[in-house]
Amino acid sequence: MKTQKLSTLRNWFIAGSLWATGLLAFSACEREAIQELPQRNWELTWSDEFEGTAGTLPDSTKWTYDIGTGNNGWGNAELQFYTKRTSNVQLNGEGQLVITARRENFSGSAFTSARLKTKGLFEQKYGRFEARIKTPTGPGIWPAFWMLGANIDSVPWPQCGEIDIMEQRGQESHINHGSVHGPGYSGGNAKTKSYMLTNGRFNNDFHVYAVEWGADFIDYFVDGFLYQRIAPADLTGEWVFNQPFFMILNIAVGGNFVGFPTGATPFPQTMTVDYIKVYRQK
Amino acid sequence: MRTNTTNRFTSMLAFGLLAASLLVSTSCEKRALEDLEPISFPANPDVFRDDFTPDLAYAAFGGSDVRAFQVDRAVTYNNSLQSMRFDVPDANTPTGSYAGGVFLSKTGRNLSGYNALTFYIKATQPATIATLGFGNDFGANRNLVTLSGMQVNTNWKKVIIPIPDATKLSAEKGLFYYATGPENGRGYTFWIDEVRFEKLGTLGAATSVFNGGRDTVISGLEPGDRVTISGMQVIANLPTGVNQVADISPNYFNFSTSDSSVARVDAAGVVTVIGPGTANITATVNQKPTGNTMRINAVGSVPGPVIKAPVPTRDAANVLSLYSNAYNNVPVDTWNTRWQFSTADNTFIQVQGDDVIRYKSLNFVGIEFTSQTINATTMDGFHLDIWTPDNTTAPNNFKVLLVDFGPNNVFGGGDDKSHEVTIAAPTLKSNQWVSLDIPLSSFTGLTTRANLAQLVLSGTIPNLYLDNVYFYKMSTVPSAPAPTPTYSAATVVSVFSDAYTNIAGTNLNPVWGQATVVTQVPIGGNNTLVYSNLNYQGIELGSNQNLNGLNFLHLDYYSVNSTSLRVFLISPGPVEKSFTLTVPTTAGWNSVDIPLSNFSPVNLNNVFQLKFEGNGTIYLDNILFRL
Repeated sequence: MKTQKLSTLRNWFIAGSLWATGLLAFSACEREAIQELPQRNWELTWSDEFEGTAGTLPDSTKWTYDIGTGNNGWGNAELQFYTKRTSNVQLNGEGQLVITARRENFSGSAFTSARLKTKGLFEQKYGRFEARIKTPTGPGIWPAFWMLGANIDSVPWPQCGEIDIMEQRGQESHINHGSVHGPGYSGGNAKTKSYMLTNGRFNNDFHVYAVEWGADFIDYFVDGFLYQRIAPADLTGEWVFNQPFFMILNIAVGGNFVGFPTGATPFPQTMTVDYIKVYRQK
Repeated sequence: MRTNTTNRFTSMLAFGLLAASLLVSTSCEKRALEDLEPISFPANPDVFRDDFTPDLAYAAFGGSDVRAFQVDRAVTYNNSLQSMRFDVPDANTPTGSYAGGVFLSKTGRNLSGYNALTFYIKATQPATIATLGFGNDFGANRNLVTLSGMQVNTNWKKVIIPIPDATKLSAEKGLFYYATGPENGRGYTFWIDEVRFEKLGTLGAATSVFNGGRDTVISGLEPGDRVTISGMQVIANLPTGVNQVADISPNYFNFSTSDSSVARVDAAGVVTVIGPGTANITATVNQKPTGNTMRINAVGSVPGPVIKAPVPTRDAANVLSLYSNAYNNVPVDTWNTRWQFSTADNTFIQVQGDDVIRYKSLNFVGIEFTSQTINATTMDGFHLDIWTPDNTTAPNNFKVLLVDFGPNNVFGGGDDKSHEVTIAAPTLKSNQWVSLDIPLSSFTGLTTRANLAQLVLSGTIPNLYLDNVYFYKMSTVPSAPAPTPTYSAATVVSVFSDAYTNIAGTNLNPVWGQATVVTQVPIGGNNTLVYSNLNYQGIELGSNQNLNGLNFLHLDYYSVNSTSLRVFLISPGPVEKSFTLTVPTTAGWNSVDIPLSNFSPVNLNNVFQLKFEGNGTIYLDNILFRL
């Protein structure tokens, strides 16, 4: 994905404003037809192809883990207990990372899952962050590929900033959400936009989820299709996206964003990540 | 349908390309001549949108209310012109007690381009629709897919029934079918609208399984045995993220066996065992493996009894029989509850014209008579005849568990009582009928038995033939005479027996101040000595006996109500010594041979009296000394 053109932004923003009605739809043939994006040249700075022996944990020089239930379910009343057991996170031997959410009693929680992060191992300001992911599904299942400001330990959320590259609700697996959180626009008031498949669902196949982030823009892509541009003027608060961020991959179960899993939610649910690549602009 | 949803969608889009992309029609594609097939069926997806599609016909099921279905203009989905209305009748309505029928295409449709049947449904009240589906063509129903127990309410709800393999539906006539009965005896109405086949991208890929998706193992099968695969289902993830499961017919499956010399499987999913060994039955649906396996562990033919079990002789008045040709049997709900983890399989066979239950792969088997529990409070024992070809030497065993449901007469509630009795060698024997007479007093934990409801057989003998299962009341009178002794007369000194010449002049009822009443009764023509209301009772021999050279005191005794019985030998002095006899007798006559050495210090050169002490009513026969 070296060059992209963006000229019909006007059309695109009209479509974007219609999203508020909840009925916006895009189909595959439109992307090629109408999107022209500005040319940007990228240089690879970090990647993980998840090569390795099946049943092992991913590269420990690239990934670390959040373990447990956090504070109030990681701030979202999530129900899962995160572990680094291979039953929750492992390489599958085919160059892919598999995160598995399970319905099982573990340390007082009814579900287990995993949350991986590059915190302290890899952090970058600006660039293109992309991952090829096959998402899980089911009511109450909340997969995400997202980033937090690397200064989170000294500057608490939301001031540190959060960029959500991919978030989905498992009861609406045809909708992908891209968001930013920051001071004055966090939690339920985050700046967010959604990309919906008219007759398809994300969990059936791999899709490439990406953001391109610069000093005054964050562009959101699904399969190379730009569906959201966020600029400082769009935000109701301070632009805090001018410092390094680290990446996070996880499946949450339950929580404020997605709601409770039901008895009918199929378990286990897996999120398969083919690769993650990070570029910086040349 | 007045309003087209697709159009409304696209009209809201800033770009109109979507409409064009959705208008792809196969009808304008050119086909080469060689691609033409002899017959092609229309691919029209619609079943009922605003009205009957031109080829659609309706036929009601037999016994249903044939007027249950009508086209309705009043209640429709999304302001469409008409919907289908179904009036479920009240229970016991003379014109039909349920609503059910089939919507057929008279010509057949090619539905191979779709992945689901969809429709909207609502009802006048919350209700459970028994069956909804397609593939029912009033014929072979080869491509049946059925949603069972769909819950509906008063709001319109979209139902999606996944197609397991659309390539099977290239000439399908069974477009839609339904059947359901009243709710709690009362009828109601439901509506269905916008019935059509769709290619839904929002539906997860359908997967299909048999045996409910479980890996199963069936062991102990013999050549000729047949097993029918069941639990065939299609599972697809709905747009809401939950799985929809529907029952499907075997026609969607391609079954295969890993070893056709062990087991074969036909297209209907019937597995036939050919020979000993192990075979894995697997299947694909739409070229995709179901992922589960049924393992067949087959053995060679298992030996069974060639002679029937001993015919019971107990008086029917004293028997409460569960299974026997000799008696009228009480109702038994099932001889195999197939509880979880039970591998037991059972068949009803005949041995020499006698009905026998055969169990295979028995680890344990539940037998239930819950709908009419058994009151065995007046019974004394539990009888079973069993036969096994399996090794019965220790530590192998056979266990009999009886369960009483207690005063509440239902499972649980804290008043259930049970006890298990273990039978092992030498009682347990291989390759012969073993008649078990287990006194109910042996079931010590079974403190109530007015509501017996379960019998559980278990142990380490996987092959079991079972017959003559009954509770019995011990008759105070023996039903048969004591067994006739076969000792040579030359080696016997007889006190009381029809088989020998008895010691002359013996007094069977000397007046020793006893309360016992002594009589003699013929049983089966055999004279038998009876002690009623025994406290003690003497016998004065007609002459003093020198028993030197003889080894045993033999006697046959019978008592169902005695709890204490001892026999004494007495020599002048008097010098006496007792031997304790086991009472009550649980299996008819008890024959004992007591070594005379047990009676030391009695002078065996000069025995002149015998004495019995104890209680109850005792039948005695064949009292004799022998070599």
